[in-house]
Amino acid sequence: MRISSNTLFDGNVSALNQQQTRLLQTQQQISTGRRILTASDDPVAATRALDVTQSDAMNTQYALNRTAVRHTLSLAESTLQSVTSLLQDVRTAAISAGNGAFANSDRQTIAAELSGRLQELTGLANSTDGAGNYLFAGFQSKTQPFVDTPAGMGYFGDDGQRLAQVGASRQMASSNSGSDVFMRIKDGNGTFVTQAATANTGSGVASMGNVINPALLTGHNYQIDFTVAAGVTTYSVTDNSTLPVPTVLSAGNPYMSGQAISFDGMQFDVQGAPANGDAFTVSPSANESIFKTISDLIAALNTPLANGTGMAQLTGSLNRGLNNLDNALDNILTTRSSLGLRLNEIDALQTAGEDLSLQFRQMLSELQDVDYNKALSDLTQQQMYLQAAQKTFSKVAGLSLFDYL
Amino acid sequence: MGSNLFTSALSGMNAAQIGLATTEHNIANANTPGFTRQEVLIGSRPPQSFGGSFLGQGVDIVGVKRIYDQFLTTQVQQEQNQASYLSTYHSAMKQIDNLIADPTAGVSPAMQEFFNAVNGVANNPESVPARQTLLGGAQFVTNRFRAIDQRLTDIANGLTGQITSSVNTINTYAQQIATLNGNIKRATAASQGGQLPNDLLDQRDQVINQLNKEIKVSVQTQTDGAVSVFVGNGQALVINEQAMSLRTIQSSSDPSKVDIVYQSGNNTIPLQQNSLQGGNLGAYLAFRDQSLEPARNALGRVALGLAASINQQNQLGQDLNGVLGGNLFNTAVPRADKGALNTGTAVVSAAISDVGALTTSDYQLKFDGANYTMLRLSDNTTTNLGATLPQTVDGFTVSLTAGAAAAGDTFLIRPTANGARDIGVATSDPAKIAAAVPMRATAALTNIGSATIGSGTVNTPLPLDPNLQASVSITFDTPTTFTVTGAVPAVVGSVAYTSGADISYNGWTVQITGTPSVGDIFDITQNTNATGDNRNALLLAALQNQNLLANGTIGFQGAYGQLVGEIGAKAHELDVTSQAQTNMVAQTVAAQQAVSGVNLDEEAANLLRYQRAYQAAAKAMQIANTMFDALLSLGR
Repeated sequence: MRISSNTLFDGNVSALNQQQTRLLQTQQQISTGRRILTASDDPVAATRALDVTQSDAMNTQYALNRTAVRHTLSLAESTLQSVTSLLQDVRTAAISAGNGAFANSDRQTIAAELSGRLQELTGLANSTDGAGNYLFAGFQSKTQPFVDTPAGMGYFGDDGQRLAQVGASRQMASSNSGSDVFMRIKDGNGTFVTQAATANTGSGVASMGNVINPALLTGHNYQIDFTVAAGVTTYSVTDNSTLPVPTVLSAGNPYMSGQAISFDGMQFDVQGAPANGDAFTVSPSANESIFKTISDLIAALNTPLANGTGMAQLTGSLNRGLNNLDNALDNILTTRSSLGLRLNEIDALQTAGEDLSLQFRQMLSELQDVDYNKALSDLTQQQMYLQAAQKTFSKVAGLSLFDYL
Repeated sequence: MGSNLFTSALSGMNAAQIGLATTEHNIANANTPGFTRQEVLIGSRPPQSFGGSFLGQGVDIVGVKRIYDQFLTTQVQQEQNQASYLSTYHSAMKQIDNLIADPTAGVSPAMQEFFNAVNGVANNPESVPARQTLLGGAQFVTNRFRAIDQRLTDIANGLTGQITSSVNTINTYAQQIATLNGNIKRATAASQGGQLPNDLLDQRDQVINQLNKEIKVSVQTQTDGAVSVFVGNGQALVINEQAMSLRTIQSSSDPSKVDIVYQSGNNTIPLQQNSLQGGNLGAYLAFRDQSLEPARNALGRVALGLAASINQQNQLGQDLNGVLGGNLFNTAVPRADKGALNTGTAVVSAAISDVGALTTSDYQLKFDGANYTMLRLSDNTTTNLGATLPQTVDGFTVSLTAGAAAAGDTFLIRPTANGARDIGVATSDPAKIAAAVPMRATAALTNIGSATIGSGTVNTPLPLDPNLQASVSITFDTPTTFTVTGAVPAVVGSVAYTSGADISYNGWTVQITGTPSVGDIFDITQNTNATGDNRNALLLAALQNQNLLANGTIGFQGAYGQLVGEIGAKAHELDVTSQAQTNMVAQTVAAQQAVSGVNLDEEAANLLRYQRAYQAAAKAMQIANTMFDALLSLGR
């Protein structure tokens, strides 16, 4: 076959070009550390790398979100911790106020102490984060949620609960509304509440009672009326919620102090000696704020007792107050345990997120990073080829018959 | 007899001289592009009858011919054409490949940063710095979109220049071929015995080869030696000594680009653009129409999708001032250009109706005198729109703004072409970010039952219900039914209650779960002072990984990734095929050069051969001379 002299040169030049291009590509890979320099180097991996980069960035963002949530949850938790110990103090004071040997002035001293506690509690409930946003105002973070009004402590926030995206598919509540924490606490035993009529003169004190058969509960208001005739105390039970006229469920029941009174799935007892005409009401539990519980206690302690009389009222009020304080403590502790669980979950999510991040980084590295061993060995090989091509080219190009003419 | 000796020797010297001249010509032109080596054709002279036997008379030069293979030459031209098409397309593609997939400069990191800022607002809805960061992120992402679109526009503008210069080059070559045709015809006619002007033929082949690098042509050789050259669907570029020309004009369907037309005398004849294939020009057209514009459309769709989705969600919310949310982004309006050949007066406009349904294609709206049809150009799917506009196709609505269309009128609709160019940030007020939801639900503190109410959501799609923020009370008249006050239209009578079921009035939806008691009240009210409400911000942030585009099949990042993938794959394909084609060309050229190329060693050998032949003939001459001298000396 004939070879044209041009072919010899052209072929060699293009071979040298190709080898230099490859060498440059490898050199660029090594100097940038990336296998994929442009999308065309590996379109599938490049597209995949974009996706993984986004996933990784979102994962990083979730970690930031978690940090923010952890911050607000910790703030709420430490505030509620203070509330817990405050309520325990209030409880201790309320128990000591039941001491029968106390004079009116002793009770007033305790009342004064409780007033201070109440103000402290209001301050805690109006806590803010570092930026002046109220922790327990629902969505209205710039509105002071708890303000004393003539009608008692008012709540000016809302029920809003802020959520945060703490994982790809997990939204977590990062706040609790003040209404849920401080306002919405069921009084009585959570189902019904017994209360002595204010006009009672006897020494009868009703217990908080309990539910014995939930299926029979009606949610109605009842009244227990005591009659003392010829030294015998009887009582009647009336359902005041039936319309148009109240229904007398039972009448003439013999009364004995401490004996269970039960009807419509509820059971409680009355201790002491009710006077003729004394009455107790039984109504479904309603929401009572912690503030009202404490201010009711203060009001009860501030009410002077005439000799002997009114002791039953005080005992009833203290019992009721203590019971509601327990309910409030329960509510705060429930909220705190929910905060704790969320903080734990954040820790768990944090660990999972870090693992995930590691995986994403690894995946990205596999997709787009250069394998140095391979790249360096390629470089050496390509270098050798290029050198060989250069050497042989100069040899071959030097062969000419004209040299001998 | 003596004179015979001289004639023979002289003819030998002549032949050797011509041989030397041809060899030197070959050597001199060894590097001339398109040169084919030449060879002297010699033959022995007819013998002279001499005493019953024939005596040789020397040598005759029959001619000089070029060593040429028509088949190989044509093959080189064709492969060359394809190679320049592929390599030009590849280098054009490289420009956008580098631009779009860059992990630091593409749109991807900007979108990520924007959504990170949205998350920041969701974490701290009352924080003005967080909101300012979000606006900064929005500015960043729109800048990225616009910068990339600007770069694509620059490339497109550059292409227009390249197309024009390629067309000029083609015209120049056509002119050269026409001139060479004339020269070749005259030279052939002038030579006796049909000798061919080898070097002119080489030159013409070379020009045709160059022309093939610009555009695919077909060549026919005429009997008189002239060639005819055709482009496209058989339009003659060169006939005999006459050259026609191509010209660029503003496109009839899209004023921003140029079309190529055929100029014959004073007539301008439109060409089917996709019939112009191969070569640099074919590559420019293919790159522009099949890669650059689809890339811009795809980028525009991501921009439109992002802007419109964020706007919609923001409008469903309430901003820091307690006002209903507005637009955070300015969005592009689809382009609607009327065809240059339209005879009607119709002006057509288009508007996006659903970003989720948009494709990346362009559309052609056509009126046949009675009905409109919409042709999707990416896959040639036709939708009949009936006799009247407005009509909605693939997420956009076309309307007749003014005038009336005539039969045969066409309009080019490009729904997403300007998406990336025209995206912008609509507000500089950080308070305008609607992080809150316009309504909230509250359970009355006096409630006795255990039922709770969720925070509620606003019904989609837009527009918002005008009574969304009106106060509504849900009051339980029995544990299983409730009455509603404040709803529009008013709700008469009791509504049955199911725990957890959707309760929807005035454009919102809430759920009440648990056991309510008689008299329990739930209020849905305007969300006043809701600086800490991040419900809508969470929804804004959640848009990031929702599949909102292409009928709910891909998200923003996915759509962008698809664009990167398509461009990368095309560039990769072109890289491989152009490499292969370059090798193909090298092989074909080597085969052609094996026949026609000059081998210097061979020519060196020929030099010696003819030198020796000349010396030998001269020696023969000398001998004849000596013989003659001897003869003359006899008479002394």
